[in-house]
Amino acid sequence: MFRINSRIGRRPRAVMLAGALAVVTAAVAVGTSAGARSAQPTIAFVSQGTSNSWAAQLDAVARATADQLGVKLVYYNGEGDATKQLPEIQTAIATHPDAMVLVPLGQAADTGPVERAMSSGIKVILCDSEVNTQNYTSLVNPNPATAAVPLAQWLAKKMHYQGNLLYVGGLPGNGTTILYDKGFYSVMKKYPKIHVVNAGNANYSISTAKQLAATAIASGKTFAGSWGVGGEAVTGILQAYADSKVRPIPPNAGAAATNGSLRLAIQNHVQAAMLQFPPADSKVCIETAAKAIKGQKVPKYINISTLKQYGDIFPPLQRYYKSQYSDDLYVGTDAVLTKSQLAAIHLTK
Amino acid sequence: MRDGAGSASLAPVADERTPRGRLATLAADHRARLYALPMVLAALAAVLLAIFESDFYRTANLHVVMQQISVLGLVTLGQLLVLLVGGIDLSVGAVMNASLIIIALFNRHTDHLAVSLVLSLALGAAVGLVNGLLVSWRDVPPFAATLGMLACIQGAILVYTKGVPAGEIPSSLRPVALSGIGIVPWSLVICAAVAAVLTFVLRRGTFGRKIYAVGRSPEVARRVAISTTNVRVAAYVMCGVFAAIAGIILSAYVGYVDPEIGGNYNLESIAAAVLGGVAFTGGEGSAAGAMTGVLFLLVLLNVVTLSSLNPFTQLIVQGAVMLVAVSVFQFLKKQPAN
Repeated sequence: MFRINSRIGRRPRAVMLAGALAVVTAAVAVGTSAGARSAQPTIAFVSQGTSNSWAAQLDAVARATADQLGVKLVYYNGEGDATKQLPEIQTAIATHPDAMVLVPLGQAADTGPVERAMSSGIKVILCDSEVNTQNYTSLVNPNPATAAVPLAQWLAKKMHYQGNLLYVGGLPGNGTTILYDKGFYSVMKKYPKIHVVNAGNANYSISTAKQLAATAIASGKTFAGSWGVGGEAVTGILQAYADSKVRPIPPNAGAAATNGSLRLAIQNHVQAAMLQFPPADSKVCIETAAKAIKGQKVPKYINISTLKQYGDIFPPLQRYYKSQYSDDLYVGTDAVLTKSQLAAIHLTK
Repeated sequence: MRDGAGSASLAPVADERTPRGRLATLAADHRARLYALPMVLAALAAVLLAIFESDFYRTANLHVVMQQISVLGLVTLGQLLVLLVGGIDLSVGAVMNASLIIIALFNRHTDHLAVSLVLSLALGAAVGLVNGLLVSWRDVPPFAATLGMLACIQGAILVYTKGVPAGEIPSSLRPVALSGIGIVPWSLVICAAVAAVLTFVLRRGTFGRKIYAVGRSPEVARRVAISTTNVRVAAYVMCGVFAAIAGIILSAYVGYVDPEIGGNYNLESIAAAVLGGVAFTGGEGSAAGAMTGVLFLLVLLNVVTLSSLNPFTQLIVQGAVMLVAVSVFQFLKKQPAN
């Protein structure tokens, strides 16, 4: 320890000066190159962060879209945590990009920074979630409340409007879960002969969903249908049925459509309908930001669920299943990314 | 020689002819009654279930409960060892998750089940070793050491998988959780065997006595020539290995690459151990108690699910029953032996 310090102390002053000069030169060079690139529009992409396959696909699609459009995308990693994302948003605002595409993790916490960004002239595109203000440029979001309605209606019809319905919930208090439930119950309350058996909340965990569904199935109740909030819940329900001796497996609805949930439904001959919560919608987010930067008029709200390619999925499911890709692929991602881009995030088999 | 000395001074045979011996016998009786409490509660619950929720005794439901007991049981037995030496392990869930990722990746294209199982166990042991050394050598508080390890493992998984844990659970692994003898799955047989060996080791073995000694008073243990470092490290290593086995079994049960697997087992294993009479302060608890805690917790979860209560009400019921059980246990623990 002492030896190292004394060695530093004996360094010639000239070396230190040269080092300082090198740092200054590098800083000037970086500044110059940044200035040279300033003609290229810059989008700060404050993401959820690569914490799961959905986020990985969201990020990959955003990067690919920015490359196609010729805009510079500066990536900020939210690490899947609202408190970690907040300083990233503030750093992004401080660099004053032309636009900021934000995937909000904290509905309330992100409100202030969004308003600050807008007041400093940065176009703000909210991607996939809302904040507690209307002061933003555009919101690009699937609407689970409205998109769940046709699915619930389809399920009720398949159940002949009667019987027990196995329900596995999402994450209590979560905005998406609340919207899913709103759409689901708005339909089910019309059919008093359908008895919703609530097995509990899976908290977006496949293993928890499987344990809850397995317990409900083992109770001996006969279910005429099942509903899961999110792809994890549906995967857990289908796995529980597949491992049980109950046949035929009743119709199912509610998933965020992944290759895995499609595979399970097809392999086990389950009639299933699925909602899309597509990570590929970051393409729309980046495109909207690019348009806003150019001064083009962009809609205040883009409901992804109403776009044809992101609408609800009904049988036959074979149309959507891609056996060459892994279970983690969300429907639609392969339409936006190349095979090499899909392979880079482990989506090819 | 060292072991013998340590054992002799730590587990004296109570001589009832002396006042001190009688006191020791009374204390032992009190402890026995205390550890029997969770079992009495479980028996009471079984009777109440037969009356109010008869669906619980359906064969299919008992099979589901047994599958769940085997996973939580193994994690809790590992947590028991760490709690007994005055520690805590918050990285068990991450080890379970890493086991699943290893199995999924190694069996992506071809069947490398044996290799992936060995690697999973080795990873569990390595994580336990690092945890144990951090706690023993560097005096890092167990909470901080294992929480840091949890972050390291999760980070490593994310770096390697980029958030997309491609691969699949081999079908050859699934019978471990889905098949068995009658309605008893193989996974429960494994768990019961581990519990039986652990019970023997803790009650009769020299190593068991050392674990209790280190947990009750590391200073005294050192004075009787017990290497507290070795004992603590061994406890953490075993905890890591048990967590890896639980991760393998849970992977077999779920049968799907779930990147979030294992997350809730950190707190559930601690809750089950505490419900089973294991003390946070170390040196107090048993394998039978821990397994009874597991049984109690999972039966409770199963019954509230069977009851089809509103999920929010389910949480209140679970929490309230656990609070009452722990409070009663603590109350009885504070009662004098006589």
